[in-house]
Amino acid sequence: MADIERTRVALIGNPNTGKTSIFNMLTGMRQHVGNYSGVTVEKKTGIWKLLQGKEVELIDLPGTYSLSANSLDERVTVDVLAGHTTGENSPDLIIVVVDVENLRRNLFLASQASELDVPMVIALNCWDVAEKKGLQIDSKLLEQRLGVPVIPTIARHKRGTKELAKAVEYAIKARPMLIRPQWPEAIKKALDCLRRELVEQRGQSLRAGELQRLLFDRDSAVCERLTCPAAAYKPIIKATRNQIYRDGYQPDAAEAMLRFRFFNPLLNDILERQTVTKKRSKSESIDQLLLHKVWGLVVFVGIMYVVFQSVYSWAEPIMNLTEGVVGNFGEWAGRFLEGTPKFQSLVVDGIVGGVGSFLVFLPQILVLFFFISILEESGYMARAAFLMDKLFSWCGLNGKSFVPLLSSFACAIPGIMATRTISDKKVRTITILVAPLMSCSARLPVYILLIGAFVEPLYGPAAAGIALFAMHFVGALLAAPIAFFLNKILNNGEATEPFVMELPHYKIPHLKHSFLRMYQSGKEFVLRAGTVIFAMSIAIWALLYFPREAEIEQAIYSNYQDHALTEEQQTEIDHMTNAAYLERSYLGRFGKAVQPIFAPAGYDWKITVGVLASFPAREIIVSTLGIVYSLGDDVDKESDDLRTTLSHTKWESGPRTGQNVFNLPVALSIMVFFALCMQCGATLAVIAKELNWGWAIASFVAMTTIAWIAAVMVYQTGMLFV
Amino acid sequence: MSTRLDTITKDGLFRITHLKSDNSCIARLMKMGLLPGQEIRLVHEAPLGDPIAIEFNGCHMSLRLSDAAHIEVEKSDGRH
Repeated sequence: MADIERTRVALIGNPNTGKTSIFNMLTGMRQHVGNYSGVTVEKKTGIWKLLQGKEVELIDLPGTYSLSANSLDERVTVDVLAGHTTGENSPDLIIVVVDVENLRRNLFLASQASELDVPMVIALNCWDVAEKKGLQIDSKLLEQRLGVPVIPTIARHKRGTKELAKAVEYAIKARPMLIRPQWPEAIKKALDCLRRELVEQRGQSLRAGELQRLLFDRDSAVCERLTCPAAAYKPIIKATRNQIYRDGYQPDAAEAMLRFRFFNPLLNDILERQTVTKKRSKSESIDQLLLHKVWGLVVFVGIMYVVFQSVYSWAEPIMNLTEGVVGNFGEWAGRFLEGTPKFQSLVVDGIVGGVGSFLVFLPQILVLFFFISILEESGYMARAAFLMDKLFSWCGLNGKSFVPLLSSFACAIPGIMATRTISDKKVRTITILVAPLMSCSARLPVYILLIGAFVEPLYGPAAAGIALFAMHFVGALLAAPIAFFLNKILNNGEATEPFVMELPHYKIPHLKHSFLRMYQSGKEFVLRAGTVIFAMSIAIWALLYFPREAEIEQAIYSNYQDHALTEEQQTEIDHMTNAAYLERSYLGRFGKAVQPIFAPAGYDWKITVGVLASFPAREIIVSTLGIVYSLGDDVDKESDDLRTTLSHTKWESGPRTGQNVFNLPVALSIMVFFALCMQCGATLAVIAKELNWGWAIASFVAMTTIAWIAAVMVYQTGMLFV
Repeated sequence: MSTRLDTITKDGLFRITHLKSDNSCIARLMKMGLLPGQEIRLVHEAPLGDPIAIEFNGCHMSLRLSDAAHIEVEKSDGRH
């Protein structure tokens, strides 16, 4: 880069310290959210204007308790601070956000970070809350003892910005460093040994702080960056860890013991007043209710009901509105392009339909992220995970999977995006992969159509209700063993990240932060998933539209001898033409060709084409069936025409010629197929964005196979009883 | 007389006597300041009995019983 680089300032801190509030306070809306290359850790940067108009780039690193580089978040933090991210040097300054109430614990992270040789400023946040609790900290004294500027801030009320800016301006020039512990001889010797072996002899670029990571952390992720072979560095690291063990330091515990032992005497008199306040805090009183064995669950169910209802039904009017606007626009465009039918169909069915098919998810995403930001910021999310953990732990998930999976019953797309609240990468991957098995609202039309046509008339409304209920849970039931299996095979069944979770103090959420979160998640979905969904919609449109041979229409017209066609006849001809076009389209031909694959599940070629056409979006099945059965495409799930037509359709060929195509086993087999199959281009695009295309394709193949097997089993078993 | 943390009941104040730091959960808690000699309080138990929440240094942490089994505590009289 030719132009002068901006000063870069990294923001680190424990979770729940108000780090994001500080980031928002300093950068306002001048933020950019992306991903670190190759990993799914969110990269947030923003521009912060200092006092004299100088602009610095502020990097908001993930909230972590330490730099042990066990989790992905911690690893990214170490890499960014040590300057190992591609194309970026280490930052010019670190601001450590420290919660006054947890000063001791927060300084541990600051102390680890200081070993990476980057100057530091400490922001002492939540000053007001601490003061209210009778905790007054002498920040000047702290500053003297630690050797870096210590600035009291109240991010919630935007206080401390100027002071922080002044301190940063000073620190960029003066480069103050946090006081470092004096390591005992044994540790010094071990670190020296590592430096000699790895840095001097094998030319690895490692800072002191990174050597400490290799010494103190079991299986440090810093290893993955070493360029020399594992056979070379592994024995060296093992030997030094064994050496400090022989010298009386348990390697996994040594760092915590030594750092806390070093900082405690510096803090004891400053924190003296903290121990006086033994009274039960407000948060504790709230938890007496919210974590109560009975009342806690009652409140939990209530809150989750509100969240689910709002995603499931309150977002619906906005979704209908979106659909209406898109539909009207399509109609308007359609009239405008009346003269050029091919182009008209491309615009109306392909482009407008394609844009509509992903815009329609936006309301649900926005509503869910509104609630998630409130649940997270208030501190309730951790409580929800605490209450639910036991239900999920046996199959390798944890309590944090609950909200994403619940949301997936409305729609897997916001559900999958909500897995960002899960810090454990493996748990997050598994949750994303099982989320599409939850019965989303787009499956409902299929269930209603088929249950209405084949269950209700035969067995009555009670059985229909049971069938609908069962269809909603077949996916969830299957998800548990699948999660269990994935947990065993991913990372060779290695243990997941430990489930140690802070139950932070309750806070009143900031509406502004909620809106920012909604905006960011919505924008990301439209820009990144939207483009893929759009492309897929156009491709499927083309497969359904072409080759569209003109003879088809003429052949149908020639059946009608008299030339004064009634309006009814005209509609009939239109419907038949559309059905014939669909049959002869590329996708129609393909459907006929692969019908034998679906024969064991009881499908004829028409159902097969319907199933294939529904791969981009499962709700398309209803209108596709409308077209193949020559009823036009404006049938809906409760259309009597469609229901009667379905129940009278007969096999045209094969062993069962003349018998009804649709019976109860076929209806159940279709419903089970739709319950388990990944028929949603938007979900695939979101999985690809949150994980990668490999996982997206794998889950597509796996879910389709599982759905096929289940459909065949249901049909074959059902036929034994018919 | 020390007991394992997963076996104690809600009452009273306890002091950590021993931690098995080769467990990754314990290693993480130690980095948050849970070290031998630290006083802790058992504050909550989830409805199904697992996980539990402990309080130390003013912060509340939740951990699973399987991890709590690696922590040994003794009764504390509140004076240190």
